[in-house]
Amino acid sequence: MFDVRGYVVLVTGGSRGIGRAIALELARGGADVAVHFRAESARAEEVVRAAKALGVDARRFGADLTDREAVAGVVGAAARWKGRLDGLVTSAGIYRGPSLEEVDARGWEETERTDLEGTFWSVQAAAPFLRKSDRAAIVTISSVFGAHAAVGGAPYQATKAAVEQLTRALALELAPSIRVNSVAPGFVRTDMNRAGHEDPVFRQKVADSTPLGRWGEPDDIAPVVRYLLSRQASWVTGTVVGVDGGIALR
Amino acid sequence: MSGSAPDPPRVALVTGGARGIGRAIVLALARDGLDVAFTYARDADAAARTAREVEALGRRVLARPSDAARRDEAETAVAATRAGLGRIDVVVANAGITGPDGWEGVSTDAWHRVLDVNLLGPYFTVASAAAELRRTRGSAILVASIAASSAYPEELVYSASKAGVVSLARSLAYALAPEVRVNALAPGWVRTDMTRALHTRPKAAAAIARGIPAGRWGEPEDVAEAVVFLASDGARFVTGETLVVDGGDSLVWTIGAER
Repeated sequence: MFDVRGYVVLVTGGSRGIGRAIALELARGGADVAVHFRAESARAEEVVRAAKALGVDARRFGADLTDREAVAGVVGAAARWKGRLDGLVTSAGIYRGPSLEEVDARGWEETERTDLEGTFWSVQAAAPFLRKSDRAAIVTISSVFGAHAAVGGAPYQATKAAVEQLTRALALELAPSIRVNSVAPGFVRTDMNRAGHEDPVFRQKVADSTPLGRWGEPDDIAPVVRYLLSRQASWVTGTVVGVDGGIALR
Repeated sequence: MSGSAPDPPRVALVTGGARGIGRAIVLALARDGLDVAFTYARDADAAARTAREVEALGRRVLARPSDAARRDEAETAVAATRAGLGRIDVVVANAGITGPDGWEGVSTDAWHRVLDVNLLGPYFTVASAAAELRRTRGSAILVASIAASSAYPEELVYSASKAGVVSLARSLAYALAPEVRVNALAPGWVRTDMTRALHTRPKAAAAIARGIPAGRWGEPEDVAEAVVFLASDGARFVTGETLVVDGGDSLVWTIGAER
């Protein structure tokens, strides 16, 4: 339905969780997917196999996204793979929830460099390739915590707010050749949130606090990304779409 | 093969469906496989043309005149859709009017007319369909405008009515969860009859297109595809949101886009 057939899309953080679901949803839509991973080569290869089983081409690309040169290398390799790049989804990210006092220099740096700089360097490296596409689009991954506060994890929240503003600033700067939008998931059952959804009390609390009555699944996020990349969204840029079951409505 | 009956086609009710964005929404939903009922204010010829286009897509259609400002007519439209097409899965509150020019001296009657159609109308439509949408676990989409979120004294009344629509989507999303999702759409400058005075004047039309980051006016289909997305299973975890479909226009402020 939402048409990404024939697109070549790089999904960062594509070996697990939301990134994995996005890679496979794009594959279902007929896109060739470059699956970026940091450490989990075997899991990335599993995603590549699953994507190929859906009838598209796929390949894994490893890199540490906190290193600007490494990002340039991996984005260039992904773009050369098929000789084009039509989409970038910046799904690589980490979550840490320390209190103010617990945040040390390493903790700050780890969050900020992965979630914010990783996104920025990926866009910077991909832009020259995307400009050559007639359907170029970027989707960044924010979080409900990009606009709504919680106690604990202030660096993560500040970083996600920054990702949203990066989305708006780059949508303006890259217009009209590349569209840039963001998806802001709520609580999603992934490895990143394992501590949360495996705690019975917190698990119930999230479900009870969500108007739609449940945790999100990676497969709830992926179709929204597919729509935003598709031809049907060709007049949508600079927006943040919350995919959170309504948890922030009040 | 199992012996179970095939799923019945999903059914949408679109207010203000004869022309412009509403017509594009009706046709996009029909292309997506839904049967469609739509209301229209006055233009019976345009309604008949849109209805024929739906039939040509192989879908069932029901077109009826309705005053979007009236609660009883919203209830009648919902009842007629259920009677004629069997069910309602998607409600699109699209009917809307522009307001009086400017901010000064707006008459009480002009205020009431715009709020009745643009704000009370969507409320009446969704409220009338709420029980049926709960039954079908459906969704409602309210057409707002980017005028809701920036200064627009040239159309102060219209803008205020559309800001109300964004609020309506949030509260109704909360009220009707978990069975029904409710979202709003905020279109920017779209080429329709409503904006004809601007897009048919080459200089004015070009100035507006230049001001939009995407570099072009929106087409009714741009908005319609966003409706199809919000109505789809792909948006199953999206509720209470306002999806902005404006080519990036709302990013632009006085000096932000200068280099």
